[in-house]
Amino acid sequence: MQMFRGVLAGLTLLAMSGTALAVTEIRITHATTGGAEKEVLDQIVADFEAANPDIKVVQIPFDDDTYSDTGLITQLQGNPVPDIYFQWAGYPVARDANAGYAADLTDALKSDGWGDTFVPSVWSAGAGTMVDGKPYLIPASLDVTNTIWYNKTIFAEDGLTPPKTWEEFLALIKVLVEKGETPIIEGNQEFWPFGNWASHIAAKVVPPEEYAAAFEQTGKFNTAGFLKALNHIQELHTIGAFNKDMAGLGADPAMATFIEGAAVMHPIGSWLIGTAKELGDADFDYASFDTPVIDPTHPLKDSVIGTVTGWVVHAKSTHQAEAVRFLKFYTNEANQIKRAEAGSLSPIKGVNEKANLDPQTKQMAEMLATAPAMVPPPDTTYPVPVAEAYYQAAAMVATGEKTPVDALVWLDDTVAVIGKQ
Amino acid sequence: MSASRAIDRPRSAAEWLRFGVGAALVAVMFYPTVWMVLSAFKSNREIFRQPFGLPASWRWENFLEAWEKGGLGQLYLNSLFVTAIAVTLAVGAATAAAFAFTRLEFPGRRLCYRLLLVGLLLPPPTVAIPLFTQLRDMGLLNTPWALILPGAAWSLSLTVFLMRSYFNTVRPDMEEAARIDGANIAQIFAFVSVPMVWPAMLTMIILNTINIWNELLFALLFIVDEDKRTLPVGLVRFYGYHSTDYALVFAALSITTIPILILYFILQRHVIAGLSSTAMD
Amino acid sequence: MLWFVAPAMVLFGLFVLWPMASAFYYAFTKWDGFTAPVWVGLANFQRAFADSVHLMSYVHVVLYILGTFVFEVSFGLVVAVLLNSDRRGFEFLRGLFFSPVVLSMSAAGVLWAFVLDYRSGLVNALLKAMGAGDLAQPWLSQPTTALIAITIVSGWKYSGFYMVIFFAALRRIPRNIYEAARLDGAGPVRMFFSITLPLLRQNIMVAILLAVTGGFAGFDLFFTMTNGGPFSATEVPATWIMKQAFDQNQLSYGIALTVILTIVVMVVSIVYLRFSERVGVARY
Repeated sequence: MQMFRGVLAGLTLLAMSGTALAVTEIRITHATTGGAEKEVLDQIVADFEAANPDIKVVQIPFDDDTYSDTGLITQLQGNPVPDIYFQWAGYPVARDANAGYAADLTDALKSDGWGDTFVPSVWSAGAGTMVDGKPYLIPASLDVTNTIWYNKTIFAEDGLTPPKTWEEFLALIKVLVEKGETPIIEGNQEFWPFGNWASHIAAKVVPPEEYAAAFEQTGKFNTAGFLKALNHIQELHTIGAFNKDMAGLGADPAMATFIEGAAVMHPIGSWLIGTAKELGDADFDYASFDTPVIDPTHPLKDSVIGTVTGWVVHAKSTHQAEAVRFLKFYTNEANQIKRAEAGSLSPIKGVNEKANLDPQTKQMAEMLATAPAMVPPPDTTYPVPVAEAYYQAAAMVATGEKTPVDALVWLDDTVAVIGKQ
Repeated sequence: MSASRAIDRPRSAAEWLRFGVGAALVAVMFYPTVWMVLSAFKSNREIFRQPFGLPASWRWENFLEAWEKGGLGQLYLNSLFVTAIAVTLAVGAATAAAFAFTRLEFPGRRLCYRLLLVGLLLPPPTVAIPLFTQLRDMGLLNTPWALILPGAAWSLSLTVFLMRSYFNTVRPDMEEAARIDGANIAQIFAFVSVPMVWPAMLTMIILNTINIWNELLFALLFIVDEDKRTLPVGLVRFYGYHSTDYALVFAALSITTIPILILYFILQRHVIAGLSSTAMD
Repeated sequence: MLWFVAPAMVLFGLFVLWPMASAFYYAFTKWDGFTAPVWVGLANFQRAFADSVHLMSYVHVVLYILGTFVFEVSFGLVVAVLLNSDRRGFEFLRGLFFSPVVLSMSAAGVLWAFVLDYRSGLVNALLKAMGAGDLAQPWLSQPTTALIAITIVSGWKYSGFYMVIFFAALRRIPRNIYEAARLDGAGPVRMFFSITLPLLRQNIMVAILLAVTGGFAGFDLFFTMTNGGPFSATEVPATWIMKQAFDQNQLSYGIALTVILTIVVMVVSIVYLRFSERVGVARY
């Protein structure tokens, strides 16, 4: 027992040294590991610490996939909890609020009119920042979660222009295949990268009620609408649109390969802009077009897919006041302009207009402003296991593992086993 | 003498063939390691264009960049701290237990030993999740103790088992003599038994050091803070952040593996004895 | 006197036995790790036996273990025989052959993820250099090749360990047995099958047990190289458990899966030990 007591004494010492510090430490965990966005975050943290010498900000970054896999959840349950954590609006915020991880920020947003500095739409019911009318997520950026980025230089060389319809899109891919290019690169090891695109395709062809019912587990996936969506994905596979290693390639390597110019198109979210700033050569010229209209009669035919991301204050944090102080600093106009110029669209009023946006960010801003409808990604809207099952079924079709019919049968079976969430 | 003459005798064709085949095989097996080190000196473009051969220019700065970006110095220190304490705990506790199991008579001896043996067959993933919640409730999560205590505990079964069989190979004569001379059990253990079984303890120290140093699963789940991570987790994370910067990842891989390989070549005989004892004695 | 066993038993009880025992309770509850567990009886187990990825993870781990018999145990044995010589240089070869064993699995996994990379990996570069670029495959991105690729990497990592075990055992076989066989006109192949193999039977049995228990614990390599993908083709119990446990607060479902794994490993080991006792390899 002697030794064990020694160990316990050591532990007590360790615990005491942690609390004896005069400076308050706030822990902030996120999935920003590189790119221009990370540089701005580091800058904001440094500026904040300089302005608030009594607070030290500890960042706990994870790569994106680990963060959503085990990185965040082990921390939320851990000890000490992170004071501030990055989260996607919608289902994850609702889950965190119900599980008691997320703090109600009503009072903080009321003080100094902080809440009014945001564009009003982020506080609408569909934005996913509120649960039961109370705000839990401080929006930090407006993300398009999928659009089709293309290499302008290669398009120009081959005399191609962004397609208006699905047929034009397929024809364009065929041209690229004949030239021996990799038309579309996707790193789909974790399913969400292609899953977002596949969901957007589905949202554009499946009747909206049918779409919602399937993801909410009140209906089936094996319907005429979803079959049509997966058939379109199969068309892409059949003409050889995708890179061969799509199923095992990580999202980041795929993006880097596109930025290096080794593939012509890359369907991914607006965060590509920040990475391209860091990795791209000076002559790397790119732009985006959104998934073309597939069914001209569908109500969401020219919707965009996107969501809000932001910060949650942990309900069990003992430094909530300091955490709020940091987030106010983070969302002030000067810092938001820095973030917007690094490629991240701001939810703060007037920032995107004042900032000197690069052409791609400007394009995203226009896309969001002009789109008649916005579709949220299923994994932030519906139960995650159901969304991921759909992503996986879509990936199976995209890589030729299963036919659309088989994939839908598999999908309904899988969702049945998961059970009602 | 005759043995050394046998070594110096000219080799027959069959012996040359055997050496040739063996050398070729080993070269193929060792090549990925060489490729890793050579690639660490290249630029990303060169890795892609000239995967074979020597680097055009030796870019030592890759290592400096990897060392700084990966915080590899801190990772080394953390791994050293965790491994040193956990191995000391495990080998110390196991030697004492093996001493008790072979030299002392007490109620529950068989039961204790049988219980410990359960751990020989259990893979760590079977308790990872309940252990996670337990460590959380004990307030140990995200402290080095979350790796040290479970790491030591999971090394006990094999260490006790092997130490016990070593104790069984040494006759208790010396201990008997010390007892007759009036030494108490603690003295006998510390001054007679430990020096006697020291070679086996050394083997166990090396064996457990390799296992705990390389442990990934617990380190992945029980530690969050970047500045408390151990090398294996740090490396996986580093790969996650910089998966497209090949040269940088190769440099980090080289920095984390080459010192271990050198240490291994120095301690080769002990290491091999340690690992083979898991299946031999 | 209990002072001698107490530290070991306390450590072991607290961090091995207790979590294992508590798992048997939580497996019958719905629990997110945070709020109070709710008793749900066999619900988690019903789901586990309907969960096709979970069931397939056992198929994969069995295939992997069979693969380790070939690429680790058998290969290690062959190399031990090949490198069993007092001649100069052989000890060096053995040392090099063994070296991957001391590396961490995560380092090995990251290194081999690069070796097998589709675009810039060593294997495909080699195929292209030999003019066989058509054979270049996205090794870790195809369900058909990912598991075998991981098994081969595992062989690279661990065959040295089995080589050393068998080498040590080979040294204990008296030379004169081989001399006598040679005088009888036996070639090396016949000597391997009629002398070496039978005399190493006990070591082979132990090696197989280690490969089986080690195989069920397999996590690191799978986690770093594919994390279960593509399409769950390399999902093994350990990776699936981790995903389930921390995804969507399904902690108790993950725990139920660990209970199943514990029972499977225990049953397999005990049956194997009984069997090996019967063939006269009493150990443990």
